[in-house]
Amino acid sequence: MLSLVLVVIIVGNVVLWSYQMNQVDLERTQETLTIANVTRMEPTGLSIDVKNTGAISLHIVAVWVSDSTAHQRYDANVFLNAGESATYNRTDIALPQSVFLAKVVTERGNIAVFSED
Amino acid sequence: MKKIFKRFLRDKRAITPVLSHLLLTVVAVAIMSLATSATFVITTNLRQTMGERVVVEDVWFNSATGTLDVHLRNVGKASIQISGVYVNHVGQSFNGVSSLQVNKHDWLRIAFSWDSGEAYYIDIVTTRGTHIADYYKAP
Repeated sequence: MLSLVLVVIIVGNVVLWSYQMNQVDLERTQETLTIANVTRMEPTGLSIDVKNTGAISLHIVAVWVSDSTAHQRYDANVFLNAGESATYNRTDIALPQSVFLAKVVTERGNIAVFSED
Repeated sequence: MKKIFKRFLRDKRAITPVLSHLLLTVVAVAIMSLATSATFVITTNLRQTMGERVVVEDVWFNSATGTLDVHLRNVGKASIQISGVYVNHVGQSFNGVSSLQVNKHDWLRIAFSWDSGEAYYIDIVTTRGTHIADYYKAP
């Protein structure tokens, strides 16, 4: 009887955990984000136009600015509701003069990329 | 007092129904607590394995250091430990981050001599067997 209870609790625990992780993965696939534009601010800084094109809200936790000589990560804290657009300004980030790549990273681990042509 | 105690010891009657129910409840609760604790211990490793999620935020073919730098972030529900790094299925030595707590991020520096324009299959393996693998092209 005790072993039956034990097995039921173990299986229930695993099923519950599996459901939770599936939910995490599902939310991650539902999350989509695009960077519409990245512009320089005067005298220094950058401005990123981001749009949440997914069906769920998202949390941006990092901004990356990379060029051929450096890959720099900056912590960020921006929440976007589903379908919402926002302009994220940072005066402490200097955009490189050369061709650069900008990325924003969400809490769930999705990444949107903007490449300066 | 002594008399009462002696009488209690010599008493051959069974314990009262209330006391027996109470004892049964205590035993049942104790067994269930043991079962729950055992379940938690048994499934901990499995839950941690299922809860591993790691993303590669950035890959930098660093020409200044001659290394291949990978920025990892733990987006799962369990802390991870990196056990091996493979580039094109060949094990490589690495330094930098070797373990990552939940929601933490850091650089993993792989000692690998790369060639410009070549694509490399980078495979990062955790101690629980999770693979974070993809192709990356050197600029």
